Amino acid sequence: MFYAHFCIPFIVGAVIMLLTLLYRYISWVVELPKGDKRLIAKGIFSTATLRSVWEIIRESLLHISIFRVNPLLGYMHCSLAFGWFLLIAVGWIETTVYMGAELVPLQGHVFFRYFATQIDTHIPIFDHIMDALLLFVLSGVALAWFKRLRSKALGMRRTTKHSVGDRIALSFLWFIFPARLVAESVTAAVYGGGGFLTAAVGGALQHTLSAGALEAIYEPVWWFYSAVLGGFFIAMPHSRYMHIFTEIPLIFLRNYRLRVTQSSTSYDNFQLQSCSRCGICIDACQLQSELGHNGVQSVYFLRDRRANRLTMPVAFDCLMCGKCQERCPVGIDLNALRLNSRATMRNLPNERRYGYFKGVDRSEGSGKVGYFAGCMTLLTPHTLTAMQTIFDAAGEEVWWADRNGGVCCGRPLRLSGETDSANKMVEYNIELFRRHGITTLVTSCPICLKTFREDYNLEGIELLHHSQYIERLIEQGRISLKHADNQSFTYHDPCELGRGSGIYEPPRSVIKAIGTLIEPKHHHRNSLCCGSSLANTIINDAEQLKISAALTLELEATGATTLVTACPLCKKALGRTTAQKIKDLSEIVASNLN
Amino acid sequence: MATNFGFSISKPRVIDMDANNLRKSDDILASMPQLQSCIGCGACTASCTAGNLTSFNFRKVHTLVRRGEYTGVYEELNKCMLCGKCRLLCPRGINTRAAVMTIKRTLGDF
Amino acid sequence: MKGRVVIVGGGVAGMQTALSLKALGIESLILEQSRQLGGKLTGWHLLFPTFTPAQDVVAPLIRAVRQSGIQTRFGCKVVSVDSRRVILDSGERIDAAAVVLCSGSTLFNAKIKEEYGYGIYDNVFTSADIEQMMNNGKVAMADGRTPERIAILHCVGSRDEKVCQRHCSKVCCITAVKQAIELKKLFPDADVFNFYMDMRMFGPGYEELYRRAQIEHNIHFVRGRISEASPLMDSRVQIKAEDTLTGRPLRMSVDMLVLMVGMRANDDNAFISSSSGAELAENGFFKPRNSFMDNVLSTKEGIFLVGTISSPKTVGQTLNEASAAAIRIAEYLRYGN
Repeated sequence: MFYAHFCIPFIVGAVIMLLTLLYRYISWVVELPKGDKRLIAKGIFSTATLRSVWEIIRESLLHISIFRVNPLLGYMHCSLAFGWFLLIAVGWIETTVYMGAELVPLQGHVFFRYFATQIDTHIPIFDHIMDALLLFVLSGVALAWFKRLRSKALGMRRTTKHSVGDRIALSFLWFIFPARLVAESVTAAVYGGGGFLTAAVGGALQHTLSAGALEAIYEPVWWFYSAVLGGFFIAMPHSRYMHIFTEIPLIFLRNYRLRVTQSSTSYDNFQLQSCSRCGICIDACQLQSELGHNGVQSVYFLRDRRANRLTMPVAFDCLMCGKCQERCPVGIDLNALRLNSRATMRNLPNERRYGYFKGVDRSEGSGKVGYFAGCMTLLTPHTLTAMQTIFDAAGEEVWWADRNGGVCCGRPLRLSGETDSANKMVEYNIELFRRHGITTLVTSCPICLKTFREDYNLEGIELLHHSQYIERLIEQGRISLKHADNQSFTYHDPCELGRGSGIYEPPRSVIKAIGTLIEPKHHHRNSLCCGSSLANTIINDAEQLKISAALTLELEATGATTLVTACPLCKKALGRTTAQKIKDLSEIVASNLN
Repeated sequence: MATNFGFSISKPRVIDMDANNLRKSDDILASMPQLQSCIGCGACTASCTAGNLTSFNFRKVHTLVRRGEYTGVYEELNKCMLCGKCRLLCPRGINTRAAVMTIKRTLGDF
Repeated sequence: MKGRVVIVGGGVAGMQTALSLKALGIESLILEQSRQLGGKLTGWHLLFPTFTPAQDVVAPLIRAVRQSGIQTRFGCKVVSVDSRRVILDSGERIDAAAVVLCSGSTLFNAKIKEEYGYGIYDNVFTSADIEQMMNNGKVAMADGRTPERIAILHCVGSRDEKVCQRHCSKVCCITAVKQAIELKKLFPDADVFNFYMDMRMFGPGYEELYRRAQIEHNIHFVRGRISEASPLMDSRVQIKAEDTLTGRPLRMSVDMLVLMVGMRANDDNAFISSSSGAELAENGFFKPRNSFMDNVLSTKEGIFLVGTISSPKTVGQTLNEASAAAIRIAEYLRYGN
């Protein structure tokens, strides 16, 4: 009984989509590296699976993360995803209630209103519930239309540009629910019944159209509904809407601890295809807001990479400040993906390179505490002398790793995609640290810190940024500081220290030990980038200056007498655009020692 | 030979601008016109982290490239650690890191 | 015609402009921000290329201004300018028949180039510090010792995108040669090294002085920009540069590092420009209406430019401009522009 010819487009579409998705997901899983497969095997029967289900409800259906960033946008996504899900789920319950245990084919559930006219029983409450859900989804569709017309209305400066596949799928998607409304309303007009919505629209149709006309369009409207559904299903795997399903395996795999690594693996596919192209990353991007660089933001980077047409100007025009990643509602590992794309483009290993490191050791001093200034810190000697003063005051014996020049930490090369070369530096430095037997390593450069934490195996050596080290000295009472409330500071979170390494509070507690801290408009997770990031090799000097000037403006607006940061690059960048005092954290500590 | 790159005083080599093919150099400059603005102050080389440990001289290398002397340049540039100190110092604001990458990409293993 | 010609700034530019106007029978009023006449030149010791004491230029000008009864007001900070009046920070409005901007330029703050260690290491000085020490009659290292090795670095805060100063400050090269000779005369046993990018010996007698510095005074010239300075145990400074002529990195310990700070546009220029409508050039200095015929005219009628307000220049050029401006002002007052 649950078959009519108009169901054919729907059935064909659903089968093709199902096969496409299965083929893709299975082949991606098969191509995963062995280690990743082991992780899946280990995770699948653990609590990670339960956590994943909960996360899927929260994020894939309700879209709570988007709500947090932008409530209206959150409602739009929630009404489409959760609304559609409820339509399917409640529809399933409805047919089950009507038909009992009888097996109903897929189209029977989807087109139940059509087939229900042949059933004698009628439970009106379901009509109303289904109509309410349909209205919920339609409100989301209306918002989506509105967003296309004017993105600013939804609080977004820009919205994403679409590919051809996207446009086809989008057109189908926009028609699905209005088509359903029309089909069900016409049915209500012809056969009666229907909930508050379809009955009302049906009633209106009865008034305007003759019975003959209604009869004539009855089959075609159901054909149309089935066709747009089928069309959407066929187009979906080739469009942005691939994310609807892909986010689900992604959540499982992520909870099984699979990660994006420095060289690309098939796990990246799950990440790439989970992007919903919501465009939140575009608004977060300073390259967009300050420089008007379009087409390079994460959403476009992912699009290009999916389509295998990623170019260097897109891959390398990114500060990797991490603001977009921080805000991405899907939690895509954007920086790591960009890094391994760069590695794919530029990593050309050669064993003989950097042979000149052999035997190099310019370090001096001895002590269990090592200090790694980093290349950039050598250009901000105030920081070096301040650290010396602090070490002396705390009575710390220090091994100076690179005060007279040393080997780079390797992160700049890694950021440029030359992973193998970077690893040469990692090897060299690990050997150097081990040889001098240090147990603590302090660095003033957040760039070095990040790579020490992530790419170095330094078991037994505690890694500290100088802000953490100084905080500890204060806590242990090894140094004491003069406090004066009338000294006001504002603090700029360096990207690699804050978002990159999660160190937000130590510098703040040190500043509060000296004077008053005034937060700028954007701080902590939302802090701006200074523009001097080594990750971007596309923007020129003048453009770096523009980004820095925007940051300076915000910092100066706090009215604080001194601008403080904890990264030599940020300090250099801010120094170019401010006339106010700009200091590294260590400097204000050194000059306020008791 | 990469080992005595640019320093073979005993074997004076003329930069033969009649024989040198500047096409690759032109390509590099077309994608990075700012490289032309170098005033040869040497600040990049003076601060160079790699130059501190070996005979790497970025100013000299990119100048030679601009004269059409490409031999050995690729591996010579692979001594660079891309640390970016030079970019912070360049008085002309040249994006030196990008210059290294561009030259490497354009010349390949010449 | 209401009011007198108002001259903003009482340095050599302002004083000479007032005197030249006086000679043409035009009354003027000098507004000076500080408490004395003479401007930056009062802090200078000898002038290139003739080693003429700066006082020999400044003192006679001050004397002449006083004797000719030109009215001068001190402690006047100008906040707004247009061709008919000048407004001071006290709110006072002064009517003007014409306005001459003679407020000069600002010396680059060497602390911004942190890598050179000015204000961190004791023995890093600026060219202005050296002039001051010469005037005080005692040039020495911070602890009073006699320097044996001195490095002079050209182009600090000039020709440097990194501090947003693209322009050449013009006078630093010859000042560096002059100071090198002076230091060598003071410390005949010391070695003096000038680190330069280009030697811009544009004026009469400059190239000759450069040559004398090389031959007679045995001053070393190294072509390369110092990239960083670091401290040594005995308060000396280690500098790094590339000796670009040999193509090799150079490292050197020196007793004194002298930074030739450039001239940059005054911060005030921005609001003087916006209130008056006289345009600024890209580098922040005032733009002359025409670089050939109208060098002393701003782009706004009734507002004139003399001295380093419009670009870095020498004392001699500034004084010439003052006389030229006086004639153009006289024409303006009589015929309109």
